[in-house]
Amino acid sequence: MSELASESVNEPVRPGTTRPIALTRLPAFWVVLVLLAAGAVRMSQILAKFLQTYPIATITALGLFGLLAVPFWFFVQELDFLEREPAALLVVAFAWGGLVATSVSIPGSTALENLIAKLGSPGLAAEWGAALAGPTVEEIAKTLGVVAIVVIARSQVNSVLDGVVYGSLVGLGFQIVEDIVFAIGAVALAGQGDDVRPVVTTFLVRGFLAGVWSHTLFGALAGAGIGYLVVSVDRSWWRRIAMAALALFGAWASHVLWNSPLFRDGLGNGAVALLAVLVFKGLPPLLLILYLVRRAHDREAEYYVARLAGLDDPEVITEGEMRALGSGSRRAAARRHAADQAGNKARATVRRLQRAQARLAVELSRAPEHAEQHHCEVREHRATLKALGHPEAVEGAHSWRHTASSIGTAAVAIAVLWVALSALGGA
Amino acid sequence: MGTVTRRHLTDLPSTPGLLSALLLAVFLAALSFGLPALDRAVSAQRAVRAGEPYRVGAGVVVVPPAGATLDVTGTRPGEDRGTALFRLGPVRYAITVQPFSGDLTQAAVRLRQRITGTAGYQVTGTQLAVSTAGGLAGLQGGYTAGDRGGRYAVFVAHGLTIEVTVSGADLDLGRTLPAIDTSTKTLRYEGS
Repeated sequence: MSELASESVNEPVRPGTTRPIALTRLPAFWVVLVLLAAGAVRMSQILAKFLQTYPIATITALGLFGLLAVPFWFFVQELDFLEREPAALLVVAFAWGGLVATSVSIPGSTALENLIAKLGSPGLAAEWGAALAGPTVEEIAKTLGVVAIVVIARSQVNSVLDGVVYGSLVGLGFQIVEDIVFAIGAVALAGQGDDVRPVVTTFLVRGFLAGVWSHTLFGALAGAGIGYLVVSVDRSWWRRIAMAALALFGAWASHVLWNSPLFRDGLGNGAVALLAVLVFKGLPPLLLILYLVRRAHDREAEYYVARLAGLDDPEVITEGEMRALGSGSRRAAARRHAADQAGNKARATVRRLQRAQARLAVELSRAPEHAEQHHCEVREHRATLKALGHPEAVEGAHSWRHTASSIGTAAVAIAVLWVALSALGGA
Repeated sequence: MGTVTRRHLTDLPSTPGLLSALLLAVFLAALSFGLPALDRAVSAQRAVRAGEPYRVGAGVVVVPPAGATLDVTGTRPGEDRGTALFRLGPVRYAITVQPFSGDLTQAAVRLRQRITGTAGYQVTGTQLAVSTAGGLAGLQGGYTAGDRGGRYAVFVAHGLTIEVTVSGADLDLGRTLPAIDTSTKTLRYEGS
């Protein structure tokens, strides 16, 4: 009892306890809500102007970029598989990026670019204005979104990965709204009236070619820094602040590199040169950030899998399932294997079992005394799997057919994208 | 091997304060209002040398009107495109150069649609042929926006479109247009 009390004193915060009803009792939440409302008003004014001038192009842009958000959202959800963040906070993060960070960045970036022209020269602003002004204001405005989540729901940010999840959703919200603004800007610049072609070109270029190494990625890195700042209580404050600043700098530097005029002319103007520039300026930050995100994910997964391993109960989780549960690709492989072995019902049951195991692991880390309900849930899905003749949710043997299919799909997607871009004159 | 332990849980104050949220709002205000205020506090006007050609971008040059200043916030020279913004008192004189693969008629249609695409802007009168001293052929017309008037001209040469827009109150325009017309006639392509 005294041990429990002592633990409770040392670790007063329990993840996942903040519910919307609790949020409304916090004055800080209302401040954040007012900021979101102000951003919504500002962006609605811009959208209304777009709809009035270019209704078809604007609706097309809303539809296309809205769809683009879906795969990114699912990727982030899969990253967040083990310890799910509350949907309300994910929406706040997305809305911050799309409403607050964008409405702050529009006047802020313009002003900073003007200052570069005034204090430097118009030539400097032409070459480096967009590369320096945009990232400086935008990365700060987006990172403040993760800080806002910490301010209103600190107990939900309990690993570096949580910072990554919130940061990437802030970035995703920003990316989608910025892309819509750029698409309508392209329509206006083309001077062809309410034409959807510039929207489609912008969608292909900014959505596909540039979308992978964009705000979602930068936001994830800055968010990781905030996550580290919040959770690494065994480190000194200086170290935590320095790491958060370094992550923000990394996001800023990746963004600057992407916007910079470097290599703009060095590789010619052909399609291959364009691809080379995209890969050269986008790939290094992409690989670095994905590596860091993977590490954050694996560290969190190790912790939660260790909670389940401590039960030493193969009815709850087997050795093979522990290996699968800790990785997104292995979880997916286990579901595919179940489908191959025992049909789609087994695939769905494996997914439900994995979810139940994750919920149990989280509950064990928070309040083991309340974990019985989750134990029952796991056993129920285990019984269903056994009845289906597939008792263990593990990966099957490596399937070359799956690898070949993935490579083939990617190749076809790139080819279709390239043909579409060439047809539209974008390449 | 690294793990997330319960010690990794946060040690921030358990009841997030209103102060933190207000501080957040202050940071945002600094970005969205502070930076623009700082921008407004620094002058954007730069003197240009009278009678000397000014490089707009992509090899296009123009001699600015006498008494004009360069507004650096609307000026972006470049290798393949560029913009220059001059001001004669309250009158705005902008030149934009960018790659273009169409003909002069298409360029004029595009510019007119951009003008009328701005809420409250209407093209007025007929379009007239113009030319520069260096032989560039173009089209020019007028537009209005409430109590402000405007003039546009467009030229196509060497795979570029050169768009000129002039705007200001009618009285100021009447006073400055002769000098601006003289300047527009000095537009020429010198090559990159």
